Amino acid sequence: MKTKNYLILCAAITLALVISLLYLPGFSDTVEQLMLLFLSTFSR
Amino acid sequence: MLRIVLQGIGVIILILAVTIVTLKIANQGADGPSILFPGGELVSGELHTGSDPDWRFTDDVFTIELQLVNPLSSRVIFIMESDGKVYIPSGYMQSFLGRIWKEWAFQADEGDGLAVARINGTRYERQLIRIKDTDVIDGIAAKFGSKYAGGDPPEAAAAFFKKSVTDGDTWIFEMAPRDGDGT
Repeated sequence: MKTKNYLILCAAITLALVISLLYLPGFSDTVEQLMLLFLSTFSR
Repeated sequence: MLRIVLQGIGVIILILAVTIVTLKIANQGADGPSILFPGGELVSGELHTGSDPDWRFTDDVFTIELQLVNPLSSRVIFIMESDGKVYIPSGYMQSFLGRIWKEWAFQADEGDGLAVARINGTRYERQLIRIKDTDVIDGIAAKFGSKYAGGDPPEAAAAFFKKSVTDGDTWIFEMAPRDGDGT
């Protein structure tokens, strides 16, 4: 992928992720549950 | 090929970074924490005054919200009642990730320990005191086993918890009354 297209993809991912985390009901909770599972597994 | 692999790794790092930063910023000034990320000052809810309640009601409470006064931040945490007192744990204290994740416990231990707990919508002003006396651990471990064993036998969970505390991997704080409060 060319650098220009890659940067556009990164910007699109960032925008979509921020909007989803802030406004999609339940999405941030699901993400946090997964992060909690990761932390409680690998923090031992 | 290498370029594609590096771009893929970059996207994964980007997703992780954007997620963490977004959730951290979104929760920073909130009235209470989210599941994982610290929130701000606990504002809503009646402020309890007078003598301490019968803390056994917390046996039916899975988690509480706990806010440190210095620095001002709040998180979700387990609670255990034992012999009329209430305790909170902080685990993973000896691992690298734990030291980052449980920074509040170091701050409470090294700082003034002033805290506010919100339980079932009521706020309680408390003083966090780290417990190192192993005499009280048995009762706390038994309560941990009965409340938070998951699918494990409560006795096994309690034994695991007690070992974790004596090994220093889990810290216990008593949520004591502030000076001059409580009974």
